[in-house]
Amino acid sequence: MLRVENVTKYYGNFKALDDLSFDVKEGEIFGLLGVNGAGKTTTFRIIMGLLEKTSGKVTLDDKPIDYSVTDNIGFLTEERSLLTKLTVREQAIYFGTLKGMSEDKILERLDYLLNKFDIMDYKDKKIKELSKGNQQKIQFITAILNEPKLLILDEPFSGLDPFNIELFKDEIMELSKKGSMIIFSSHRMDHVELFCKKLVILVNGKTVLKGNIKDIKEQYRKKNIVLKGNIDIKKIEDIKGVEKIIQKSDDEIEVIISSSDVVDDVFKYVSKCKNVTKFIVEEPSLNDIFISKVGESYEK
Amino acid sequence: MKNKLKFLISTSLKKKTKTKWFMVANVVLALLVIGIINIDSIITFFGGDFNEKIKVYLVDETDTFYDDFSEYVELVEKDLYDGDGSHFEIVDSDKSIDELKKLIKEDEKESVIVNIYNKDDSEIGSKLISFSTMDTMDYQILSSAIMQVSNIYTISSLGLTEEQYSKLINPIEIEREIMDEDINDEDENTNMIMTTVFPVVILPFFMLTIFLVQFIGSEINDEKSTRSMEIIISNVSPKVHFAAKVIANNLFVLIQSILLVFYSIIGFLVRKGLGGDSIMNGLGSEVGKTLKTLTTGSMGDKLVPIIILTFILMVLTFIAYSLIAGILASMTTNPEDFQQLQTPIVIVLLLGYYLSIMAGMFKGSLFIKILSFVPLISAVLSPSLFVLGQIGIIEITISILIMFATLYLLVKYGLRIYKVGILNYSSTGMWKKMFKSVKNKD
Repeated sequence: MLRVENVTKYYGNFKALDDLSFDVKEGEIFGLLGVNGAGKTTTFRIIMGLLEKTSGKVTLDDKPIDYSVTDNIGFLTEERSLLTKLTVREQAIYFGTLKGMSEDKILERLDYLLNKFDIMDYKDKKIKELSKGNQQKIQFITAILNEPKLLILDEPFSGLDPFNIELFKDEIMELSKKGSMIIFSSHRMDHVELFCKKLVILVNGKTVLKGNIKDIKEQYRKKNIVLKGNIDIKKIEDIKGVEKIIQKSDDEIEVIISSSDVVDDVFKYVSKCKNVTKFIVEEPSLNDIFISKVGESYEK
Repeated sequence: MKNKLKFLISTSLKKKTKTKWFMVANVVLALLVIGIINIDSIITFFGGDFNEKIKVYLVDETDTFYDDFSEYVELVEKDLYDGDGSHFEIVDSDKSIDELKKLIKEDEKESVIVNIYNKDDSEIGSKLISFSTMDTMDYQILSSAIMQVSNIYTISSLGLTEEQYSKLINPIEIEREIMDEDINDEDENTNMIMTTVFPVVILPFFMLTIFLVQFIGSEINDEKSTRSMEIIISNVSPKVHFAAKVIANNLFVLIQSILLVFYSIIGFLVRKGLGGDSIMNGLGSEVGKTLKTLTTGSMGDKLVPIIILTFILMVLTFIAYSLIAGILASMTTNPEDFQQLQTPIVIVLLLGYYLSIMAGMFKGSLFIKILSFVPLISAVLSPSLFVLGQIGIIEITISILIMFATLYLLVKYGLRIYKVGILNYSSTGMWKKMFKSVKNKD
């Protein structure tokens, strides 16, 4: 298990991370979210031992992370981290050997992954000759070459088309099934929502939201009701707890309510109306929660 | 971690040696070295002739000086060229000046006319005619010979006896005595050695140091600018990474040095095969002669310690330069920054180079002796002063010890800068960060 305990990091007088704590169990995919400059990359660098923390503790299976365990870690950085003058094969051998793998094992795994990502033809091409998307694939492949116990993915989908995102997702899910601990950062909330069971949202290095996504959504009481039919909008507006009504089409509206308690009151009124063909209580998306939490934090 | 170090070293070495540009550069270097050693044969091949004699038409209107003139020209040449044959063919001509001028103008543009004529009873006049300007040395030889025959004419016209005459013209033997017992007269040759042999040794050192600095810098810079440094450092410690760069690049310099020596050997063998002078006379007869002086005279005793000590100092200095280059490269974020930071290294190198060449001019001043202990400069200045007899083995050993201390400090504090520098991508407050990292013991 990866355990990050009360980690604080100062750059001079600037506090980049403030008492961050979380843990990731085997087979778990963990989301680390935040706007640019929130402290995600700093957290990853601290986990990888590239940055000294000011205080706190980071352990992998109860041992501090040092060069004796880094062979079991895979790291995909937000920016391209490839030696562009090398060929794909040379790059894989270079990073794979640094992970303690034998050349035979590297080439065997490389062939498997290149086939899977449908880029076998690029094996002997120089990285600089590849497109942005293919470079990202190579970066991902070199990060998972060693089938890492702990995989850190900083914005793994940048520069990828929807088709390739699916390929990445499959591979990430497969690694998770095999027991890899995966920490994942992305600006795309739909990806996070799809993968992660647990997350932390950082704002200016501070944890503003943390926990299981399901629980978070439960706790986040704000819900939307989509209605279709012959409904008197004025009557809905008069119900206590209704914050806003958005006209979606001639006969469809979206009712923004302050909490799930209001759902019953709205339903009581709607059940009296005629020709109602739709009544859907929508869960808030992670995107809504993220925007709301980040917004609240900035307001404070 | 040892295997990773070995892997990083071999990868870095392969990256430099298994490229077409390394092959191209070495083919060019080999051709240049072999060409320089055999430059006389190349010039001859393209029509130059080092053995072609200059024809001197002596038009002696007094009809008495041919023997004296020929004899004196031969004597002066023997002195100047160490008995290496005559460069002139003296022809006692009975043709008129105009006829000879026509001949030179039309067929023999390299030939010259020496016209000696009676000015009055006790004085002769002379004229030296050539188609174009003459080589300074050739002009000196001929004008000295003319001067000599003029003296003979004047002396004989004064009615001196043969004994008086020979006393007048015989050169005086100068006995040389130097009071400082530590210096013998052969040490006077050292200035010549400093200006001929030493640049031959220092120049490759200079060239290889530049290679070393540039290779380390560009490699680290490349890994930084592509951001692959983060992946590398997350797998190997900065210490291992730094050590790999220093070892790999020094090994590369060693390989390149061995190749240069190999090319030189081929050059000498080609020279021998072409029927040129002995191997010692390669690189031009001047250097050959100086090497002979070095190995046969009292310098021969100094040669063994100087070679060993210079080798140790140069190896240590190579390592120091590579450490400095690595530290500086770690602080930069793009190749342009490194190019600028590398300028002070080149200036220090040049300073050492010029100081060592001019060492003899400083006549053992305290200032130059102190400079010979300064790390980086000492690799070339210390041996120079040692050859000149201005410092002894103790001083050069002190230079080596200072170099060891410098390496220790560079490793200890440089590694701290390197650790911070290689993962720093911002040039803002760079120096502040570096000074702070020096104080940080972690």
